[in-house]
This record gives sequence, structure tokens and C-alpha cells, in this order.
Amino acid sequence: MPIWEKRRSALILAGLVAFHILLISIQIPRGAEKSLFEKSLFFLFSPVQRAVIGAVRGVGSLWTNYFDLRGVRGENQKLKKEIFFLNQDVRFLGDQLQLYRSEAQVRERLAAFQGKIVPARVIGADSANPYQTIVLDKGSLDGIGKDMAVCDRLGNLVGRTIEPVNFKETMVQLITDKDSSVSVVSSVAGLTGSVTGTSGAVCELRYVLASASGGQLGEELLTTGYDKIYPAGLRVGTIKSLEKDKLSPIFRLITVEPYFRLNTIDIVAVIAKTGGGE
Amino acid sequence: MRETALKDVLRAFLATLLAVLVYSLAGGAGPALLIVLNAFSVVVLYFSVRRGEVFGAFLGTACGLVQDSFSLGVFGVGGLTKTLLGFWAGFISRRIDVVPVFRNGLFMLAMSVLEMILWVLVTAVVRRESLNFHGGLILLQPLVTAVLGSSLFAVERRLRARGSRGA
Repeated sequence: MPIWEKRRSALILAGLVAFHILLISIQIPRGAEKSLFEKSLFFLFSPVQRAVIGAVRGVGSLWTNYFDLRGVRGENQKLKKEIFFLNQDVRFLGDQLQLYRSEAQVRERLAAFQGKIVPARVIGADSANPYQTIVLDKGSLDGIGKDMAVCDRLGNLVGRTIEPVNFKETMVQLITDKDSSVSVVSSVAGLTGSVTGTSGAVCELRYVLASASGGQLGEELLTTGYDKIYPAGLRVGTIKSLEKDKLSPIFRLITVEPYFRLNTIDIVAVIAKTGGGE
Repeated sequence: MRETALKDVLRAFLATLLAVLVYSLAGGAGPALLIVLNAFSVVVLYFSVRRGEVFGAFLGTACGLVQDSFSLGVFGVGGLTKTLLGFWAGFISRRIDVVPVFRNGLFMLAMSVLEMILWVLVTAVVRRESLNFHGGLILLQPLVTAVLGSSLFAVERRLRARGSRGA
């Protein structure tokens, strides 16, 4: 009997394991960048996810729309939509005022946002760790591309769009992901640093020197725009704790509580390219 | 024989789609549910016990890669762990009797724990950093997988018994 027949199972397993090891190996230098194969699988299966969520929401809305005060529901939807956009505007206006003293600068910044907000629904979360990514129901056909800032209903920063961007689905890297990094400044003391996720519910404010004074519990952090991805002035979160970093005595260990809540996030605003921190 | 195999391939494909459906719904229900529920592992375990190690390994590859495509983690880690899960589950279930309810549950639990250990190890090696255990919540995942997997077999047994009684 040939060796193939005798050890068929073991040979198949060895082949599959070798395939995976090769697949993992070729990604290591690229980090989080998606391979073509991975993009293809996302392309194939994300519409299934979209259809499932669409069907569930469709059944839900059918019930509520037809059996539960149809007229009031429609008006409510309209008002909610208006509130969504108004909230974004108010947030951006307030945040811009904090960062830019000159009125002309404020007008210029706000003009950049006009007509560039794409509302989208969350249709999925990361299969390995929900604090890493979410999937939206809008894609390249709606004007969404890579590296666009994503905010929640209240204008708080949620993350940025990353590849793969399908025609009608997009993946978003959350600010709570450990590979995420957002350049921020604290609203009172003006501490600058980088908010990095921990793949959990909280983030860390990194690269704040131990010698830097100021910073207090509850102090708000806003984006600076230096990273050229997130527009300046978006609300990120508040300082939760300040300690000495035992592992790296040069820096302070600052824990940040993000404003957005993963449990309740449903509709988000994607800010189409505004030129980052320009 | 070939017809049965084809039927099982089709069933496995539908079960993978069902796992995507369950995963999508779990995502909408909140992050905690996604951490404790791994529908892809349940599918791999169920079909591996039914069809053996080779089928389990191939299905593990498919389910793992689909799961990886919905994650920002390194693509292939889920594929590798589920391939080994499928193989082990199929291989061991051909050598020991895992039909009795209690033994079936214990077997599923052991396999799920092995998968989790392997996943933690591979992720730690590939990413070179410690994992977030979400306050220990992730440790419930093997238990939930085992309960769901053995429940599937229990339901199947009951349906078959009812069918044979009817015939």
C-alpha cells in the first residue's frame, strides 16, 4: 500500500497546517494590512452579514411601523435623523471653538465638514475581539474610503475606516484596538500624546513625559489632527487615572475612558476626507 | 457513499453560513456575547464527530478563515486552530465512544479548551504580546461551545429516535 493511502489523514493535516503557517508568515511584516485572500473572503461573506442584519431589522421595523403608531414613528425617525446631524454640527462647532480662537479659522474648518458626513449603521463586530473592529453598512459606493474618521451619534470619536472597503460594507478600526493610535491634546492642561487602545474597554494615553505637569482626572481629550487621519477637535474621551509608569520611567501611565460605548453603538457618522489636520 | 459525502459537504456549507448568521446577530446583541459564543467552533466540532478527521480539518480551515476575515487579527490564526480542532475531534471520536450524553459534553469541553489554549499560544507567538482575557469572560467560551455542541447531538439523537419509532 503506498504511503499516501497509509498516512492520508496525517498528510492532509500536515498540508493544511503548512498552508496556514505560510499564510501567517507572509503577513507578519505587513502587520494589520489585509491580504488579497482575506479581502476576497470579506467581500464574499460581508453581504451575508449585511443581509442578516437587514432582514432582522426589516422584520423588527415592519412590526413597529405597521402595528405601533405608524405616523408617530415616521415623524420620530425624521426628527432622530435631524437630531443626528444637528448633534454632529454642535459638537464640531464647540470642539472647533476650543481649538481655534479665530472666527475665520472656525468657519474654514466647519466648511470642510459640510456635506461630508455619511451616516451608516453598524452591522457587525470583530469575530475575535469585539473591541478591535466593527463593520458598517456603507461602502465605496457611498463615498467611503480608507482612513476616514468615524464618530458616534454625539460626535465622539469611534475609530477610522480601514481596508477592506467593499461596495456596500466597510471595516472600522476602533480606537480601543491595541494597534490604533490617535494624536490628542487634553482640553485644560494641553498635554499632548497618543491614545492607544488595549483591545478592552479602556485606552492609554502614551508618550506624555513624566516631567510634564498638569493633567487631572476627568479631563477631556480632543484630537489634534497631527496624524492626518482624524480631523482636529473631535472628542475622544476623558482621563481615568494618572500614575507613574514603572516599566518606562520617562513617561506617565495615563488611562483613558473613551466616550463612545460599544454596547449601544448603532448609527455612526463617517467623515469623508477633510484633509486631516491641515 | 459519494451522495452522503456530498450531502454532508452541503450541510457543512449551510452550517458555516448559519454560523455567520449567528455571529452577526451576536454582534448586534453586545460585545460580551461575541466573547463567550463561538458558533464556528460548534459547527467544526459537530461535523468533525460526524464525518471524521479529514472532513473536520477541511471544515476547520474554511470556518477559521471565514472567522478571521471578520477580524483585525492575523489572518490564519483562527484557520490554524480550527483545522487542528477539526482534526483532533474527528480523530479522537473515531477511537473512543463519544455518543453518551455526559461523555459527549466532556469531550466537547476538552476539545474547546484545547482550541482555546492553542489560540492563545499561537496569538501570543504571532503578535508577541499578552492577550486581553476580558476579565476572564473569554474562559467561558469553551463551556458555552461544549454545551451548544452536545445539545446539538442530543437533539439529533432525539429526532432520530422519534423517526425510527414512526417508521
